[in-house]
Amino acid sequence: MTDIDEAMLIAWVDGELDEVTGRRLERAVAEDPALAERLEMHRRLRARVADHYAPIEAEPVPPAMRALLNDSGKVVPIARPVAPRWRSWTLGGAIAASLVLGLGIGRLSNNPAGPIAVHDGVMVAQGQLASILDTQLASAQGDAPVRIGLSFQRKGGGWCRSFEGQALSGVACRNGGSWQVQQLVPGAGPTTGYRQASSADERITATIDALIDGSPADAGEEAAAKAKGWR
Amino acid sequence: MSFESDLLAILPRLRRFAASLSRDRADGDDLCQAALERALRARDQWQPGTRLDSWMYRIMRNVWIDEGRSRQRAARTFAPAEAGEHVGHAGDRDVEAHVMLSDVDRAMHALPDEQREAIALVLVEGLSYKEAADVLGIPMGTLTSRLVRGRGALLELLGEAA
Repeated sequence: MTDIDEAMLIAWVDGELDEVTGRRLERAVAEDPALAERLEMHRRLRARVADHYAPIEAEPVPPAMRALLNDSGKVVPIARPVAPRWRSWTLGGAIAASLVLGLGIGRLSNNPAGPIAVHDGVMVAQGQLASILDTQLASAQGDAPVRIGLSFQRKGGGWCRSFEGQALSGVACRNGGSWQVQQLVPGAGPTTGYRQASSADERITATIDALIDGSPADAGEEAAAKAKGWR
Repeated sequence: MSFESDLLAILPRLRRFAASLSRDRADGDDLCQAALERALRARDQWQPGTRLDSWMYRIMRNVWIDEGRSRQRAARTFAPAEAGEHVGHAGDRDVEAHVMLSDVDRAMHALPDEQREAIALVLVEGLSYKEAADVLGIPMGTLTSRLVRGRGALLELLGEAA
C-alpha cells in the first residue's frame, strides 16, 4: 500500500476527505477486506487516543489556574495575591488579620467588589472606597462609613489622603486615574462613638509624616484639589 | 465576556492539549499554567474577533518548545539525559506519575515532537487539518505526512498494527 493510500484512509477517519474521494474510498473498502481492516485500525486508534485524553476536559479546573485568571482580572479581592508577601511587610500580623478577614468576606459573597483591587501588582482603591477618596471632603463628612483623615501633597508631587473605616484604615495616593493604596491597617472595628481625626492609628501618622510635603491641605485647598480631580 | 472569562471557558481543552503534549499530568498542568501566564502577559497581542483557542494552542506550543529546548540544554550540560529527567522532581510525584502513565501516554511521549503535536491537535483536540496546520504554521501537506507517520508509530507502539 502506498503512502498516499494510507493518507486517504486517515483523512477519511479524520473527516477530511471530500465527498467524491470519500465515496471512491468506501467502494474500494467494500471490495477489499484488507483495506477495510486498515481503515478500522485507524478508526480504533483515533478513538483510543481521543478517549484517553477526553476525561481531562470534564475535570474541574485546578484552583491555581482559576486563581491566575481571577487575579489578572480588573477587579480582584485583595487577600490572595498579597498573602505570600505578608512576611516581608513590616507591619506584620495585624495587617494579615485584616486581609484574612477580607478574603473570607470575598469568598462568602463571591463578590469581587471589595474596597481594594490589585492592578499590575499594586493595590488600588475601588468601589465605595475609591469614590470616597474622590469626593468626600475631610471638612464635610458627617456620618460617612469611611472618614477622610488628612489630604496632603506628597514629596515629589501628587495628592494623598488618609482614611479610616471600620474594617480598614490607610493612606492612598493619586496615581494616574486611580488611588494607589500606600498603607493599609485594620480599621477601628465597630464603634458607636464619634472618632476624632486625631485618633488616627500611629502607623498611619508615621506614613503621613514620611510622605507629606509641607502641611496638610486646609478645607479650601482640599475643595480646590477635589474640583481639579486631584491632579 | 472578558479576556479572562473567555480563557476560563476554554481552559479544560487547553489542559487536555497540554496533557497530550507532556510526559504526564503533572507536567501537563505545569505547561498549561506557564502558557496561561504567557498569554496574560501577551494579551495585547490577541486580536479580538479571532479565535482565542487557536491563539492559545499556539502559545502553549511555543512554551512547550521553549521548555523542551531548555530541558535538552540542561540535560546535555549537566547530566546524561536519563538522569536529567529526574532532576528537579520530587520523588513522590515522579513515582505517582509513572504509576499513572498508561500505554497511550507512553506511546505519545515516544513520538518525535513534530508528530506528537500534530496528533494532539487533530486526534485529541479535534481540529480540522486546516486549523491544525495554521496553529503549527506548516503547509497542509506537511501536516498530513506527520499525521501518517505519527499514526504508524503509535500503531507500532500500542501493538495495534495490522
